[in-house]
Amino acid sequence: MTAAAPSQSSPSWRKGIIAYLMVAPPLLLMILLIFIPALQSTARTLTIDVNGAPGFSISRYTAFFQDPISVSNLFFTFQVTLITLAAIFILCFPLAIYLRFANGKLAGAVQVLALFPLFVPGIILAYALIRFLGTRGTLDNVLSIIGFTGYRTPYLKPDAIIFGLVWESIPFTVLVLTAGLRQISDSLIESARDVGANSWQIFWRIILPQIARPVLIVFSLNFLGIFGSYTIPYLLGPAAPQMMGVFMQQTFGQYRRPDDAETQAVITFIICAFIGFLYVRTVANQRKREDSE
Amino acid sequence: MAILDLVRLDKHFGSVAAVSDVQFTVSDGEFMCILGPSGCGKSTLLRMIAGFETPTGGDIRIDGDSIVTLGANRRPTAMVFQKYTLWPHMKVFDNIGFGLQLRRLPRAEIKRKVEESLALVSLSGYEERYPAQLSGGQQQRVALARALVLEPKILLLDEPFSSLDAILRVRLREELHRIQRRLNITAIFVTHDQEEALTLADRIAVMSSGRIEQIAAPADIYANPASLFVADFIGAMNLLEGEASSQQVRLGAVALPTPGGVAARQVTVAIRPEDLVVLDGPHPEAWSCAVEQISDLGHYRRAVLEVPQLPPMKIYLPKSLSVQERAALHVYPRRYLIYENSGAPREVSRPLPAAATALLG
Repeated sequence: MTAAAPSQSSPSWRKGIIAYLMVAPPLLLMILLIFIPALQSTARTLTIDVNGAPGFSISRYTAFFQDPISVSNLFFTFQVTLITLAAIFILCFPLAIYLRFANGKLAGAVQVLALFPLFVPGIILAYALIRFLGTRGTLDNVLSIIGFTGYRTPYLKPDAIIFGLVWESIPFTVLVLTAGLRQISDSLIESARDVGANSWQIFWRIILPQIARPVLIVFSLNFLGIFGSYTIPYLLGPAAPQMMGVFMQQTFGQYRRPDDAETQAVITFIICAFIGFLYVRTVANQRKREDSE
Repeated sequence: MAILDLVRLDKHFGSVAAVSDVQFTVSDGEFMCILGPSGCGKSTLLRMIAGFETPTGGDIRIDGDSIVTLGANRRPTAMVFQKYTLWPHMKVFDNIGFGLQLRRLPRAEIKRKVEESLALVSLSGYEERYPAQLSGGQQQRVALARALVLEPKILLLDEPFSSLDAILRVRLREELHRIQRRLNITAIFVTHDQEEALTLADRIAVMSSGRIEQIAAPADIYANPASLFVADFIGAMNLLEGEASSQQVRLGAVALPTPGGVAARQVTVAIRPEDLVVLDGPHPEAWSCAVEQISDLGHYRRAVLEVPQLPPMKIYLPKSLSVQERAALHVYPRRYLIYENSGAPREVSRPLPAAATALLG
């Protein structure tokens, strides 16, 4: 009590200053390295040279949306992202539910396997997948041994990107979903069974509504990661169409058109920021509702 | 309204026997308490009846029909759990109505039934609240309403009040008793709290190490505990180890008569504190002892006595009796039970010795 007394009596403004000092370094870094460059880039993309003086224009954006290649790349990025997200949920939900309810050695082994990709850098994963999925790769060889010869590799096709991105996203998704599922006590599930619910009804009516937040976290963070991914689509994907990450790098590095790359970056950033905004708003609403209860 | 039969029920977890050879019948409208220390298998037994555990052997029958092969969601039982029982994302109305929705009852009927069951647990008007807006006691009442609304044949309760504070526990216990009597529903209540069992139950099944030690009405269990375990577990009891000879049991420096004799040499004598009578003076058949400690428990006092060569003995003293610590007392065991190695105890009940007067203060 005596030790706590001075801090209790210390004025609130001093506590406030200490708190601001603690958050200042990361905040400063964010402002200097993210917000200001982002604003500068956005401003540049909206500026054209009018007789030596800067003027406002959306011509770069109209150019982007009139260019069939740019539009098809953006559409392709959306397509890959949404299919990958669907595949992640279809794969990871059963896995997380299994890990939540199963005990024993097998469950332990499954958990280790599910988390393993977390420790594999993306570039190594990409080459491993090429060796596994490629023509004359492991899968092809195994299939031809058992007499199946019509194997057509997904390598350099959109399927290979989805394959790689799903594999990369499993650990994070399983971790978050399992953590969310562990918050639901056994008696909540047993009491649902007791009043007559079958497994499917328990999943839809009892489990899913209670892990809405982990599902949202997994959805939005995976969306951001996949939408802006580079290594896997670059190494495993087709030459055209391209995902936005690859497209930007190529526009910037190979075609040497930094202005266009900047426009592509701002469009990608706005889409991701919108998903981020949805996430923050939902979490804030949920917290407000919980506080009012 | 139903009869529950447990037939030679066994449950093993690996090599550990959680429940072994349990057999009893709960009659229609009866309130049965399963009482035992934690880890005795009482919850496992209840969970087998509910369908959350599969028995290793034996049968469970309701009104003569075996339910062992039915899943928990298809059994005519409903359970009230210990805690975290309400679904936090559903309002009280939906918590209670969920089971009815699954049975595809019309909306109006669900509404009527939910309102009825809320009235039964004195929570009318709470339909729109979320569980987080209710107190612990209210949550357990909603859980009870949720179980009752399905009109189960057997109501199962797994220590439903153990996470509540003492005053609330007593109040809810009385309310549960009233509801059970009114609906005349067959109920099984698992608890480790003997007071709860003694006040609620028509019959108590005392369990220890997976086995039933005794099944009887509360008064019978208290008066005639069938085993040393029950004697020790239910109520306060003085347990004294002694050596039996033909006509008496020797307990340290004192002895007690054994009319009819006992077979074993090593026996345990059990004496309830209220069966020790304080005499007004020394007597050849009374035990002289010193008062070691007195605790005031409101309407009576509990004392610990020191009898030479015996473990400390508990006794109840009326408040009117002015006895201080360190005082000398002369006590006379009026009734006691003698436990041999196994089997039912021998009960000895005897009048006060001639020329002795009990001190009543």
